[in-house]
Amino acid sequence: MKKRWPITILYRAFSSSTTSTTASFPLKHVKKSNFDSALSSLRHHIQAADFVAIDLEMTGITSAPWRDSFEFDRFDVRYLKVKDSAEKFAVIQFGVSPFRWDPLKQSFITHPHNFFIFQRQELPLDGAAYEFLCQTTSMDFLAKYQFDFNACIHEGVSYLSREQEDKALKHVNSTYKDESLDSWHSLKEIRDTHLFNIPDILFAERMKDRLSEWLGGLLRNRDEGSEVQPSFNDSKQQFETIFFKMRPAISLNGFTSHQLRLIQLVVRKHFKDLAYLRVSGENSCSQNVIVYIESESVKKMLMKEVKDEQKIDAEMSIKASIGFRHVIDLLSSEKKLIVGHNCFLDIAHIYSKFFGPLPLTAEEFISSVNKYFPHIIDTKILLNSNSILQQRMKKSSTSLSKAFSVLCPQIALGSKSTHLSLQPSVKVEVEVDDIRSSNWNSGVKHEAGYDAFMTGCVFAQACSHLGIDFKQQSSSENLAHNEKLREHVNLLYLSWTNGEIINLSTGNRTSESLASNKRKNHYPKILFECIVIVWGFPSHLKAWDIRECISKVYGPTSVISVYHVDETAVFVQFSRAEMVSKFLDLKESLDRNNDPISVLHPLAKLLEGGNTCAASYETYKEICSSTVSKVLFADQAKAVGIKWKTKLVESSDKTKEHESLRKVKAVNSDPSCGERTKNKNFDDVSNDSSYSQLSSDEIIDSFYTREAKQI
Amino acid sequence: MVPKFKPSPLRIRSFCTKTVQQNPHHWPIKQITKTNFNESLSEIKNHISSSDFIAVSLQNTGSFSSPWHRVSTFDTPETAYLKAKFAAERFQILQFAICPFKLQASKVIAYPYNFHLFPRDELKMGMPSYSFTCQTSYLTAMAKEGFDFNTCIYDGISYLSEAQESTVKVRMGNPMAVDHATKSSSSPALSVADTVFIERVRSRVKHWKNACTDSDIKTEAALVTSLRKIVLGGEQFGSRPSMTIDVCSERQVQLVLKMLEDFSDVLVPLIIPAKGGGTQAVRAVLTSSDEDKDLLKRELQTFEFEQNKRVRGFREVIDLISASQKPLVAHNSLNDFTFIHSKFLAPLPPNMNEFICSLRLAFPQVIDVNYLLKDIGPVKKMTNISATIAYLKNRFFAPIEMEIPNQANENEGKIHGHNVVKICQLFGKLCSILKITPDAIESSDDFLASAINRYANIFYSLPGSSQEPTNEEIRGWTNDKRKVSCEDVVFLWGFRERISAGILKNMLQGSHEVFAEAFNVRMVDRSCAIVVFGKPGLSNTFKNVMNSKAVSGPLREMVSDGLKAAGYETYQRVCSSGLWESALADALDKTLASHNCLSEAAYETKQSEIYLSNELINLAEL
Repeated sequence: MKKRWPITILYRAFSSSTTSTTASFPLKHVKKSNFDSALSSLRHHIQAADFVAIDLEMTGITSAPWRDSFEFDRFDVRYLKVKDSAEKFAVIQFGVSPFRWDPLKQSFITHPHNFFIFQRQELPLDGAAYEFLCQTTSMDFLAKYQFDFNACIHEGVSYLSREQEDKALKHVNSTYKDESLDSWHSLKEIRDTHLFNIPDILFAERMKDRLSEWLGGLLRNRDEGSEVQPSFNDSKQQFETIFFKMRPAISLNGFTSHQLRLIQLVVRKHFKDLAYLRVSGENSCSQNVIVYIESESVKKMLMKEVKDEQKIDAEMSIKASIGFRHVIDLLSSEKKLIVGHNCFLDIAHIYSKFFGPLPLTAEEFISSVNKYFPHIIDTKILLNSNSILQQRMKKSSTSLSKAFSVLCPQIALGSKSTHLSLQPSVKVEVEVDDIRSSNWNSGVKHEAGYDAFMTGCVFAQACSHLGIDFKQQSSSENLAHNEKLREHVNLLYLSWTNGEIINLSTGNRTSESLASNKRKNHYPKILFECIVIVWGFPSHLKAWDIRECISKVYGPTSVISVYHVDETAVFVQFSRAEMVSKFLDLKESLDRNNDPISVLHPLAKLLEGGNTCAASYETYKEICSSTVSKVLFADQAKAVGIKWKTKLVESSDKTKEHESLRKVKAVNSDPSCGERTKNKNFDDVSNDSSYSQLSSDEIIDSFYTREAKQI
Repeated sequence: MVPKFKPSPLRIRSFCTKTVQQNPHHWPIKQITKTNFNESLSEIKNHISSSDFIAVSLQNTGSFSSPWHRVSTFDTPETAYLKAKFAAERFQILQFAICPFKLQASKVIAYPYNFHLFPRDELKMGMPSYSFTCQTSYLTAMAKEGFDFNTCIYDGISYLSEAQESTVKVRMGNPMAVDHATKSSSSPALSVADTVFIERVRSRVKHWKNACTDSDIKTEAALVTSLRKIVLGGEQFGSRPSMTIDVCSERQVQLVLKMLEDFSDVLVPLIIPAKGGGTQAVRAVLTSSDEDKDLLKRELQTFEFEQNKRVRGFREVIDLISASQKPLVAHNSLNDFTFIHSKFLAPLPPNMNEFICSLRLAFPQVIDVNYLLKDIGPVKKMTNISATIAYLKNRFFAPIEMEIPNQANENEGKIHGHNVVKICQLFGKLCSILKITPDAIESSDDFLASAINRYANIFYSLPGSSQEPTNEEIRGWTNDKRKVSCEDVVFLWGFRERISAGILKNMLQGSHEVFAEAFNVRMVDRSCAIVVFGKPGLSNTFKNVMNSKAVSGPLREMVSDGLKAAGYETYQRVCSSGLWESALADALDKTLASHNCLSEAAYETKQSEIYLSNELINLAEL
């Protein structure tokens, strides 16, 4: 599910009343049953497409309230939070909508597909069972939009990531290595010797007699040149003479697995010219056969043949479980322009579900994403960073449904309303199976297929406003290389909350400049080395109390802000970095000494209860990187294994140096973006200076309004 | 205003898949969702109070994520509890089937209900649960049985645990009537500031009251009335005028309450709690007469009652069961009751004893049919109820007639919740075989109590044994009747994966003289095995050898290849510290590492642990 909360029910109610003018046939829903046919048609559509819009629905976003996105997220922490979300939650719907410009019709043609996906454990892979997390609010949200959970779980398309496929193939290879089958036999033999008792011995004798009888008959017949006698087949049909790979053989039916093991033992012990094989027969159930062989070399050949067949079968079944990943592989190999709306989390999900485990750092992640998907455009950034589009959006919110209704009213509201069509609008024709319509509108919002369709329409319209003329755009040219779009390609919001943007092709981070004036809560650049995280304090203490408490020690201007991570933890932002280590030192010594002076110390109020812990921002990052997710931050810190109460900063100078180095780097190295970057840097600087001018009280006030909302 | 829209265009999505019922039984089980929950409650209450026993059965979203997370024969009650706790905290109950039943001769009269649950965060406070884990294989298996996930998520009944309800009450900020406990009797010494505050508030209240009671207002135009309201700070509380007095401290609350006593003939003070506890404001509500005052108090009570009921949701049923004090019958009681405790009572305590004590307060008698089963002979633990019933049918003649007088509702035919009826059936059979005969039950309640008491509240027992297990003993193998002391168990890991127990045993046999005596090897998961020594003391010798420089021969070779060993106490520490890695080998390694760092911390130093830390020092020297 998506974090696009602003919902306009009104809009939907309105649109449903105008459906008389618009065609309403359902979206193409793809499930297990129609996946193969849908994939082959989608393949053509994607190959012919100018761009492909995507959207995902997930089972949740944050695994704990404190993992939500905050202004106080440094880029690496932000990545860790996204990584945690992508690793824990499942994708249950995937919308793919390829858009192609049709020069004859002067319109886009799109084929929105809505895939239900659900990863089943189809292969016997090692290790843990497949699990995913559900956030109850997200499930409730999906239910509100009538998400069909039955379709997803009963009939969703399964998938394997590239990594899982490799692992499974390796497993098959090691199982069917030359020696392994033999070693498997010898291994079994050890166990078999334990199983002997009188009934077993009698049974084994009987089997031995019957097998030698069969073999004798077989050899006699061969010498006489007649057919294999059919009379051997006994009444219970347990022994059935068949031909296996052109050789006479017995198929064993109706034995228990223990009996089969004994027969296997008898064959190996007493019959040199018989071989016991377990092969997977038709309809995938395994079949036990005893085959007649002339010599050891023939046996080896036969074994190899059977083994190769089994290996191929196993590999086939792995290939068959790739499932939905074929769509992702297709998007990646075609190098099409991918369009999403606020899609950093979506991309992380795609990576972890279909490629492999997410890398540990944002840098590695970005460079690998760029390899798999060289061109990505985020419509949310596009709408916020371009002044023409901002004007078009009339400063309204850039949520997907809002953008869709503002930019594409002719689609959103039906084409009848003539006054709206004054502005040049890009026509979009929808094709589902063989039905086409130029004013289709029967999707349900927050259904991945429909959201992908809306995203594509918004993008097409935005391109037209930017002055891209699709009529002159030659079909061979990649839209991503269009000079009017170039500066927007591969930019993603690392965090929408603090407007930090990352460039996937260069790895550079910038913060948003153009839209900043629009934001309600825009804060000065946060210096992370000035931040202390405090948790486990008495629960009645609120941000204000904590601020007051610390200000008593270090003066009224020492604390810039106190921000609640959750009810058990706060960030305290000091005005100077060295106060961090001072504070931690003081807290540590107060914890240690229990004399009256420390009890009467102003900080004692904060330390009451003896569970108050404090550390620098780096510890916060460490805690975020854990795979555990407890609901409360204080519990999380405990679960991560933090047993100390205060983590002193070793040398604050060093970290500061590092931080400033990083900043210089971010400012200087961005040659590709030219003029825009300069503007941006300038904005950054002006922000910085405004920051110093702002009185600390103002900042605190703004934090408090924010905090009130958070709680 | 948001226009109402017909649900029909939206509903299409939910109709596109209908669950197919594959295995229609004929037991009518009443299916309860949000829509028919309230109307069914009184009926359920009657059935519970007239029943002898109540069977329960849960459908969860998962059980164990890795092979070694499963409760196994090598677990002590303590580690078994910790494993069950881990599962109960992560997974969710989607269906809760209860079946109050009566035993009469060879007849079971049962009233099965199947509740569809979903933890909806109705108060937007991250309750009853912020998130939960689903295991794909569980969901797939449920789907195969025709489980309807849409019904469950759209119409599931939500709930809050007892512990959550009490925190919610504070945080909801509902106005509370002032009881006499809140009023402090001692009149506080007044400072100047206090006096100023009181007088200011008093004059405001007086003005407001006079304005409200003034009969002239009635003739005023609506505009004037609303203006007056703004000026005077008055507002409506229900149909009555009220006024909110903001306070900054608990002391001011007392002052205001004291001051309002002067107006007690017509004003009723209410306390508006702040979100994080404490008081946000005092609200004075104007009543017209003494009768009206009583009416207001009653209204407040019913309001609170209704709201609590809405918040509790399904827990209403749990409360009914708890209040009835009837014996409960379950099939896998440790698993089910850790779930029930964590979802409906309170967070699970850190150890088994506390859990049993806490659970006993709510449910005095819990009977596990698996435990009854042990009394009739050496039966392997059966995980499947149907298989157990079939097994009993073959061995004993104990026909049980099932009578289910429930009216079938429209959901009839859905197969959900059949396990609970099977548990009743199985319990009936077992009682008849074990001669806890229905006649006896009817004749004397005392007899029943003592007969049943023998079987009650045993949550974890070793298969084939009718004694309650201790924390020092485990059973290495399912079909092995010998008890094994934890002392004789060593965990081994660090060998190559996909090795079989047979090969590992072969390898060990020649490696050292301790393996000359009888010993057994069993794989716990792919990464780790347990070795059980037949002769006491050998495990210590082996652990010593593993960590001394004297290790030689084939064993040295194996140690150099990464083989590691640890005693049972390390495994216990893995479970209690919550290092639920997917491979046991990783968990053991991590535990050893963290224990190494702060060997003297947190844990009480027992003999075995001192010994262990010595080992680790040796390891570091090597």
